[in-house]
Amino acid sequence: MIELQDVDFAYDDHQVLKDVSLTLGKPGQNVIGLIGQNGSGKSTMFLNLVGILKPTSGRILLDGQPLKYDKKSLTHLRQKVCIVFQDSEQQLFYSIVKDDIAFALHNLKLPQDEVVARVRKVLKQLDIEHLKDRPIQYLSGGQKKRVAIAGILVLKSEWLLLDEPTAGLDPDGKQRMITLIKGLAANGQKILISSHDMDFMYEIGDYFYLLQHGNIVKQGDKKTAFADDKLLSECSLEQPWLMKLHQRLGLPLYEHADAMFEDEQLIHTLSAIQ
Amino acid sequence: MLTIDKYAYNNEIASWSPSVKGLLWLVGMIIAFQPILLLKIVFLPIAVIYTLHVVHVTLHQYLKWFYAVIPFVALSIIGIAFTMSPSPKNVYGAIHLFGNYFGLAKSMMPMTLELSFRIITAIVCTYWFALTTPFQQIILLFKHLHFPSLLIEETLLMYRFIFIFVDSFEQIYRAQELRFGYASLGLSVHSAAILGKMLFEQVIINYQKMTYALDAKIFQGEFAVQENKI
Repeated sequence: MIELQDVDFAYDDHQVLKDVSLTLGKPGQNVIGLIGQNGSGKSTMFLNLVGILKPTSGRILLDGQPLKYDKKSLTHLRQKVCIVFQDSEQQLFYSIVKDDIAFALHNLKLPQDEVVARVRKVLKQLDIEHLKDRPIQYLSGGQKKRVAIAGILVLKSEWLLLDEPTAGLDPDGKQRMITLIKGLAANGQKILISSHDMDFMYEIGDYFYLLQHGNIVKQGDKKTAFADDKLLSECSLEQPWLMKLHQRLGLPLYEHADAMFEDEQLIHTLSAIQ
Repeated sequence: MLTIDKYAYNNEIASWSPSVKGLLWLVGMIIAFQPILLLKIVFLPIAVIYTLHVVHVTLHQYLKWFYAVIPFVALSIIGIAFTMSPSPKNVYGAIHLFGNYFGLAKSMMPMTLELSFRIITAIVCTYWFALTTPFQQIILLFKHLHFPSLLIEETLLMYRFIFIFVDSFEQIYRAQELRFGYASLGLSVHSAAILGKMLFEQVIINYQKMTYALDAKIFQGEFAVQENKI
């Protein structure tokens, strides 16, 4: 469990996080969404969670223990809490896919057999076995994103932090990302996602935090977090379309789009109107 | 020139051992630098035809890659072949200039011929190696040859990030060109200066992002270079 207690963070004089307190990883909250417009402090919070940045005041606890910032403690932390950044290009260092995926494992000086076994497993899990010998510079944006995630998944961390995972992806890439996140969550992986892609967040998240100018202004499950259209507009965000249909047309609140398209009663009612 | 890199991954002998290719390149270089001219004349077309065959590239495209090196080769050869002499007997195509005669030096012709073949053979050999050897094989070859790890790491990172740099350059250049940034000489100088400034700023920003990513991947100060048999 990760706990933030009264966390403030500032870049020089610019306050980015203000008195943030929250608990991540409660039962039934495997995929947690951090929603906010650009510049609301999402990425800064992520960097604080992996110990790259240190709170100006307040503290962060992992499994009840406050984070320590010496090298040994940070190495331990980054095996438990791993992050995939928004820009895939900047986190792929090797020229060949399999070499880059193995990078973090070599840094931990794991035996070669273990490295090979873990990389093979992740290649299969992400359905990128066919890319393993390909040069990274010739991959598509979506493929690079999957390789970046694979390079982190090999660490078998308890927590996976995904910063804007759908940024720059085409519809197919986005759908693959949804399938991937759902698959990981089904295997018990705890995932924290930052995004302002509201439909994507609505579809995959269990619990949400709404961040505005460094403050948590709302939290809750789908029904609660996306209910207040006025607040979302103030945060320069938009309600997910399933919530709009529910609130404005009186349709049931569906968990995801497929649930609506498979609703026999709705199909029957709409046919009757025609 | 970056297209050469694509061929390196998609040729018929891409999977050959880098040591074998390195050795063959060395043999080619020895042929280039040995004194028997006939050997070079025989070797040269064989090496070119073999490269075209395994890399699946047209002669036209192959010759285009020589444009990058021809100015340097030409400058060196012109410097040796042309001379000023007090007597017209010593030069071919003598032109009377400032009381002397300018032209192709008769005495230097054998050397010019020898040097030309030496350079062309060496370039053909190096192109064969570059077009058939993927980058990670070159890195493994460096490792086998016990090159310093710092040099290997630098090469590895430079190779990876040169593509990002070129990509950034192209994006900024296109954006400027579309808004007529290179319409006149004055504008071109101004746009080129902005391009340089933006690239420099991006390098600084990307460095910060890269440092974060290295931290997240538990970087311990050394990039492992080994063959992952996956």
